[in-house]
Amino acid sequence: MFRGVATAAESGSGKAAQGALAGTRVIELADESGCYCGKLFADMGADVVKVEPLGGDPARGINPRAPDGNEPGLFFRCNNSGKRSVTLDLEHAGARELFAGLVARADLLIETTPAGYLDQRGLGYGQQSQANPALVACSITPHGRSGPRARWKASALTVEAMSGSMHVTGYAEDPPGRLAGRQAWTAAGSWAAVSSMIALWHARNTGRGQWIDISATECLASVAHITGVGKYLDDGIVPRRSGPGLFASVPSGTYRCTDGLVYLMVNRPSHWKALAAWINETTGNKEVLDPMFEGASSARLPHRELLDIFINEMTASFTVDQVYREGQRRRIAFSPVNTLADLAGDEQLAARGYFVEGEDGLRYPGAPFRHSATPWQGGGHVPAAGEHNRELLLGELGLDAERFERLVAEGAL
Amino acid sequence: MSADVSVKNAATKNAAGALAGLRVLEFTSAMAGPWVGRIMAACGAEVVRVESRDFPDVVRGYSRPDDPEHVPRPGESPWFTDWNAGKLFVALDLRRPRGVELAVKLAARADVVVENHAAGVMDRLGLGWQQLSAANPRLVMLSSSGYGATGPAAGYVSWGPNIMALSGMAAASGFAERECTMDQYAFPDPMTALHGLFAVMSALEHRRQTGRGQYVDLSQFECTAGLAGELLVDALAGLSVGATPSRQPASACPEGVYRCSGEDRWLALSVQDDGQWAGLCRVLGRSAWLADAGLVRADGRLERANEINEGISDWTAERSPFEASEQLQAAGVAAAPVQNVDDQYHHDPQLRGRGFFELVEHLTLGTVTACALPLGLGDTPAASGVAGAAVAEHNDYVLGELLGLSAADIAELERDGAVQPPAGNEKGSNDQ
Repeated sequence: MFRGVATAAESGSGKAAQGALAGTRVIELADESGCYCGKLFADMGADVVKVEPLGGDPARGINPRAPDGNEPGLFFRCNNSGKRSVTLDLEHAGARELFAGLVARADLLIETTPAGYLDQRGLGYGQQSQANPALVACSITPHGRSGPRARWKASALTVEAMSGSMHVTGYAEDPPGRLAGRQAWTAAGSWAAVSSMIALWHARNTGRGQWIDISATECLASVAHITGVGKYLDDGIVPRRSGPGLFASVPSGTYRCTDGLVYLMVNRPSHWKALAAWINETTGNKEVLDPMFEGASSARLPHRELLDIFINEMTASFTVDQVYREGQRRRIAFSPVNTLADLAGDEQLAARGYFVEGEDGLRYPGAPFRHSATPWQGGGHVPAAGEHNRELLLGELGLDAERFERLVAEGAL
Repeated sequence: MSADVSVKNAATKNAAGALAGLRVLEFTSAMAGPWVGRIMAACGAEVVRVESRDFPDVVRGYSRPDDPEHVPRPGESPWFTDWNAGKLFVALDLRRPRGVELAVKLAARADVVVENHAAGVMDRLGLGWQQLSAANPRLVMLSSSGYGATGPAAGYVSWGPNIMALSGMAAASGFAERECTMDQYAFPDPMTALHGLFAVMSALEHRRQTGRGQYVDLSQFECTAGLAGELLVDALAGLSVGATPSRQPASACPEGVYRCSGEDRWLALSVQDDGQWAGLCRVLGRSAWLADAGLVRADGRLERANEINEGISDWTAERSPFEASEQLQAAGVAAAPVQNVDDQYHHDPQLRGRGFFELVEHLTLGTVTACALPLGLGDTPAASGVAGAAVAEHNDYVLGELLGLSAADIAELERDGAVQPPAGNEKGSNDQ
């Protein structure tokens, strides 16, 4: 039915090194909860086709806006560069046929539709895998596709609440806190990308794809598993918010310097010894050298408050930078408490050339990991909704021009 | 010996797993490194972890908080289970030439090496990318470090919470008046592990096509900063982030957490569209809100957020978050209890019904319960191998079966000090 034609990635400049996933074809039918997964693939050079509703993905409207004030907002720009966009109204039979055609030639489908949505439209995994047995289909939903709460309405906030993350984030005297951003979706997207790659590995070895059922709540709960069931069933303690320090690491937390806060965490016995020696040198404190404080963090658990006083006595006479540099020289895990804006002046990020410039001239986060032989390709063009309708449907699926215009006129695309 | 049981389970627990046949070698400690191999092992990969008695994993120092003697339980830490179930453990002294030789032999037969030491440590041991790739050009190697392998701060020491602070995530999280908001689960550690695993699988796909391995340099700082995404772009563009109390840009109104009856009980609520607003008004019995034309749209509600939030709090204060969630969900409103671990384990029919709590076989404890790995693989489900291995637990299997050394060879290497034997009955206290 469809001609096989090179994708944009394959036909691009032949000389440049290709991403590790060049040649992998991904269809993304995803709202804000699934675009991070597709981004990870696009940044590795996969051909990611984003299927949007006719008015465009509602995530294009998510704040904050860029300084230019235009849609899409920064969330969409961060998560969708390098993808191609087609607009299809899946209520229309002609559009469903085109969607099936796109999936038939894909390696991976990432989708965030509610349970039953694709099945009812003849596009479920059972139907799709008949035409394409090696297809991996990854469903990302807030609670998973099965279970009594599968159809509960959700947002990133409610997923963070259910996952256990919020109960242990922030300060005991405050309401439960949230991490910045939409980490319910980055956790789900990261797990979904990992699981999809594992299934693709298996599919390439066996010829058989499979269906993946990702629950965002489970994903973030597993990311938060340090405070999860294993520890709880061992010691019976229900972890909760306890400020900037971690409950099992002593000392840990923020300490006041002349010009701001530093963060410190001690886990290794050798790190404690180095810290105690530095405190003693700086403040003359002899008590801090008491051997009863030595060993694993558990030995210092009963002395957290006292040790915090000792440390603050020392840091109070230094700047953040002094504590950071001298602390690291002594192999103690001190770090500055940076604001996001502070990262603009960070010398480590600058030396490694971390930030990339988007087509809008703004600075975007760079690669989360660096491959030695294959480039990371993030920060590229952010597609307009339906920007690649012609290129994909006419050029690659082989739809004839007359039918294309008719489907446009009918509102299918 | 228990070693037979643990080898059987560690090596073959999930022989039908999606990664069966892949060989992984680890030089790791704590979480950000070990979690990569833990997930691969549950998918059927053979994962060998190299340890040294002289530099014990901090996780092996775990003791129960209520133990006045703080006796370490090196194989029984629940986190050690979470990060290491299903692996094979061999103990080598990598400061000895013959220890390094053995490690290189293991790398020569591996598909993947994972390490999370401070930058430079592996190179100094003679186990850096240059050395290992010379022994095995098809190798994929992941180095996960706090700051990355290059740059003036490469080699700095850090833990997950340091990275939260360094990356700006801690300052940007939580309530506006707080300078540093921390989660209790070291968010960067599991997140960078997932990214590292994705990077490894991508490199394996590239190898499948080209026959060539490659090196992956993961900076936990860079990876975590990227998770701030649009907020980081916004901050660098010199703009202020939205003014809502949690510093989240308003996408829904009302949205937030509301105090419920009971100690530290809260409801999370997001009214995402006008239909949900109508549902909320009905459940709360607020017909005046429903009839108020000024509140039909989110921007109108945003202007009167205080009034609305007070009304919601009045209602939630008389209810448990579970009761409130059920009522609101029945009306199609996105509401959920802020759950703690006890709620999740004892009272969440969704997590339990989907098998989120996995019973894991444990060498000394029989079985333990752990969070399952939520891969959701329909045909090749993940399954955890045995947990609780001691240092050197699988020396004989790894050196004998995998490297083909004789018992006499191994005994000689033990005398040399390159191989560190199991501690026998003393295992536990000596591992500190």
